[in-house]
Amino acid sequence: MNVNSTHQISRRLGLILIFGLAALIMTYLSYSLPRLLPGDFVTAMYAGSDVTLTVDQEAELRAYYTEEAGFCNYLLKLVKLDWGYSYAFLTPVSALFLETFPWTLLLLGTAHIISISIGFIAGVEASWRQGTRLEKGIVGGMTLLEGIPEISTGVILLLIFALKLQWFPAAGAETAYAEVSFWVRVLDIGHHLALPLITLVLAYFPGNFLLARNSMMMIIKAPFITTARAKGLPDRRIRYAHAARNALLPLATRFGLRLAFMITGVLVVERIHSYPGLGTLLFNAIQARDLPVIQAVVLISSLMVLAIILALELVYKIIDPRIEYER
Amino acid sequence: MNVDLNRNIFQDTWFLTGFLLAAVFTITILVGPMLAPFDPWDMSFTPISPPCAKHLLGINDGGQDIFSELLFAIRNTVFFGLTSGLVALGVGVIIGLVAGWFGGLIDMILMRLADVLLAIPAIMILILTAALFRPSPFMLSLILAGLMWPTISKTIRAQTLAKRECLHVKAAARIGGGNWYIIRRHLMPEMFPLYLIGFASKTRMAMFMEASLAFLGLFDPTRKSLGLMIAYAVKYYYMDIWWNWLFPPILCLSLLIMTLTFLAISLEKILDPRLKSVELLSG
Amino acid sequence: MKNLKKILVCKFALLMMLTLLGTASFTAHAQVDEIRIADSKGDWGYPNAYRHYPRGPGYVRMSWVYDTLIWKDEKGYIPALAKSWTYDPKLLSFIFELNQGIKWHDGKAFSSSDVVFTVEYFKKHPYGWVPMGDVSGAKAVGPNKVIIKLNRPYAPFLAYVGGVMPILPKHIWQNINDPKKCNDSKCFIGTGPYKFIDFNKAKGTYLYEAFNNYYQGKPKAKRLIYIKAGKPLMTLSTGKADLANIKPDMANALKKKGMIILKNARGWNKKLMINHRIAPFSSKRFRQALACAINQQEIIDKAHRGFGYPASFGLLSPDHEFYNPDTPTYIPNPAKAMEILESLGYKKDAKGFYIKDSQPLKVQILSSNITVAGDSVADRDGEVIKQQFEAVGIRVDLVNLEQATTDAKVKKWDFNLAISGHGGLLGDARILNRMINPKATGSVNSARFGANKKLLKLLKEQVSEMDVEKRRAIVYKIQEIYADEVPAISLYYPASMAAYNPKKGIKWYYTHGGIGLGIPISQNKMSLIK
Repeated sequence: MNVNSTHQISRRLGLILIFGLAALIMTYLSYSLPRLLPGDFVTAMYAGSDVTLTVDQEAELRAYYTEEAGFCNYLLKLVKLDWGYSYAFLTPVSALFLETFPWTLLLLGTAHIISISIGFIAGVEASWRQGTRLEKGIVGGMTLLEGIPEISTGVILLLIFALKLQWFPAAGAETAYAEVSFWVRVLDIGHHLALPLITLVLAYFPGNFLLARNSMMMIIKAPFITTARAKGLPDRRIRYAHAARNALLPLATRFGLRLAFMITGVLVVERIHSYPGLGTLLFNAIQARDLPVIQAVVLISSLMVLAIILALELVYKIIDPRIEYER
Repeated sequence: MNVDLNRNIFQDTWFLTGFLLAAVFTITILVGPMLAPFDPWDMSFTPISPPCAKHLLGINDGGQDIFSELLFAIRNTVFFGLTSGLVALGVGVIIGLVAGWFGGLIDMILMRLADVLLAIPAIMILILTAALFRPSPFMLSLILAGLMWPTISKTIRAQTLAKRECLHVKAAARIGGGNWYIIRRHLMPEMFPLYLIGFASKTRMAMFMEASLAFLGLFDPTRKSLGLMIAYAVKYYYMDIWWNWLFPPILCLSLLIMTLTFLAISLEKILDPRLKSVELLSG
Repeated sequence: MKNLKKILVCKFALLMMLTLLGTASFTAHAQVDEIRIADSKGDWGYPNAYRHYPRGPGYVRMSWVYDTLIWKDEKGYIPALAKSWTYDPKLLSFIFELNQGIKWHDGKAFSSSDVVFTVEYFKKHPYGWVPMGDVSGAKAVGPNKVIIKLNRPYAPFLAYVGGVMPILPKHIWQNINDPKKCNDSKCFIGTGPYKFIDFNKAKGTYLYEAFNNYYQGKPKAKRLIYIKAGKPLMTLSTGKADLANIKPDMANALKKKGMIILKNARGWNKKLMINHRIAPFSSKRFRQALACAINQQEIIDKAHRGFGYPASFGLLSPDHEFYNPDTPTYIPNPAKAMEILESLGYKKDAKGFYIKDSQPLKVQILSSNITVAGDSVADRDGEVIKQQFEAVGIRVDLVNLEQATTDAKVKKWDFNLAISGHGGLLGDARILNRMINPKATGSVNSARFGANKKLLKLLKEQVSEMDVEKRRAIVYKIQEIYADEVPAISLYYPASMAAYNPKKGIKWYYTHGGIGLGIPISQNKMSLIK
């Protein structure tokens, strides 16, 4: 037992170490890839502008906006939590990030929480009522919904509810600088959030539902459930305490993989609904060749995904004790 | 299992629907260019005209026949999706098998590579390549495949790990079957259902990405694409173009993605319910 | 689902309440609560000289905060910080009499020393919008008079310095050595009608507050807000914005809703850049053949449904006071284009495309999609031009790359043809120098054409000609030569429009010759003052 647990700890340490290495590679990639982009900030900002620079002015600006400190320096700065200055805004990247991230978190976080929790519960309940007409109908509907991409739902929702019926605003995260009380502001933010949120939930929910249901269907047939039933345990308890626990794992994996495409996926919705967020920030920064911002957004989002993948690896054993070997 | 495959599979409504849709799309793609009443690049009609007998879906802002455009767009989107799906599947399966079978250092390196690839925002890589080279849609579909294989190989690897413990595989190894022999003769064929599902799901994702990228304006604007048609039509949201211009590409894109979803989900259900392949659909 | 409906109803009621409150609380003459302006891109940098983006909307956002010596309204120059100005040829100087009793936003008094300081500061820390090369220096004569001395006669002085240079407060900027890095609120203190309060970078929104001690009178709205919204028809008709740029085909719908439509003069052109440094584009005859192959009206009709005007080949807009009505023009004529190409030794192959010395004639067109408002929207110009060239027998490879990549290629002369665009065609004729001068290396809109020595000489002469009529004659000649040489082809002037809601009692207009250097935007700060 003792030997075994030391072995386990060292395995876990090894895993973390390897992920640390992957993170370092990731940091290098996020540092060097954006630098490969043709053109630089001065070209992107001034070349097509209303200002004609002299040769000297251009050279001066270029010198101002180029950091040739190298990767080691970049790494050192990162350790000190110094993300650098945005070229376009001339403000610290961290401030920019803090201004943008909450909106992404609000949109994406809410979408995931709703679609995972409701998808999970609905999936579990559906599997329990397998074969009924209602269940068949719902499963059918969800399969249909799973086939509709975000672009389609986003555009259709925008056209009908924002442009035609005008029930919801067509752009933005809130009424800018409205002088209203806290609660009115919350409602206003919710009002703006509704359409992009529904778009994302409609995109994520059906898959979660189907996955939870299918995982449950397999588990229901497992011997330990039959035993629990034979013991006369209450239905709800069997459903959630025994069976559903095991259906959580695939959902968690799915969530992790979904997050991997977070920035790209959310960008489409942000563009359709003109909602602020990291996707738009990255998109604009790439257009303006605002290197420090590109580097930071790529780095943060990819490290987040790595961290979640690591967490999943570590958590697998806890959620699913049957797994002996690491997945 | 293979014997009742054919009988079983066509009794499933979802599979049947998906199969029929796929057939319709295949025909559209094969004969589409011949069906197209006009050259989709011909700009000589009156811009933004409503549908009429000659122009089934009317004319877009550039004076082009929308119906002809749609036929070409479906073709482009499907080809992009199929290439990406196939390549991602090939790479994903090989890497998954190798990682799962050999284990150890190889496994670790390959899987961490997969993690790193999963973690890079695809949009950045695609913009980067779009800017650096002048990528053909084919190139872009390959790059996208290069970013999509990790989810497939993770599933395949997990299955390989499970299969490795199976008796017949162990037996094959004991009687001196070489690594590649076992991979080729035992592991590869036994996971066949997973390939179909993985292929369908990655193709689906690639089509979705193609539409998104075109929508974001990262493709050549003269290349007909469903995403680009949507992007152009949305610009004229204030005019009377919803039914004839905006809706058809949205419907076609949704139908395409539905086709693949139906096929993937029903295949999974019929072929091997234990495979939990909905995970594959998630990427 | 039921819940959602409930929330919906709540929100709807709330919205109604807010709108009612908003409309009830003002009358025609009192200060309105707020004015909202919609912009599709949103972020244009912080509103001071060193941090706004170098495009029109960035300058306009700064212009609310900082006043210049003189300004423009719909008719022409008007006094601003200076109440009068004269040019003294003997002293080679402009003399400005300043208004009195002007305060900075922080309450300190404005004086001539601030103007002198600003001239010196911009000489030391260049500000792209105000080229200081021809200005020798400034001198204060008492607190209310400034003399700005020139190095040589400089005709565009008022247009490029007097009417553009934002005056900075000496008491703040004298201690600032890196003007780009200043994040402090004091770096946004000006004498303009509005105080800068906030810029939300994630949402692309700006907030300004009225400066009630403004020397030209109290601003008409308490707060000025810029919002990011790309659907002007929506934003205007739902009252989310009071002013927005619109597309021409929205005009009728908005008019029906009681909005007032503004139409701008022709001040922005879409242009085909030509790499005249490489064969075959280095040949004037070849460039003329290209010009003959292009049908401007067809581009407007097919790519913009008729909303636009064919451009003059002499660069200046027909609405410009120095426009030469006799500028040579190229009537669309495929036969003529073919004739020229054949005289240059090109022969048609079996498919009807030209070849020379068994090399096919194939040109690459880089397409980038800039619009008047500065944002990037896909259009079909490239597709139409491709068809026009192919109809003549020139093979075309249409390449669409992301904007900054295209810019980098054009800058490095790594291209054949490129679609681009720029404004400023209504402003001072110095735009000709910026758009032709081979020294404008940083620009992707400038033809950078140095092959015609006579043209270069005339360009140099026109900026130092202080006599209007003599200058006009030179500028006429420049247009003639430019149109003959065709170092770049001006394609068309898109119809540029804005719409506003008259209920707030504010009259917006397009500035004569454009704001500042010629910005074709209808957001003149004087709309909120007089």
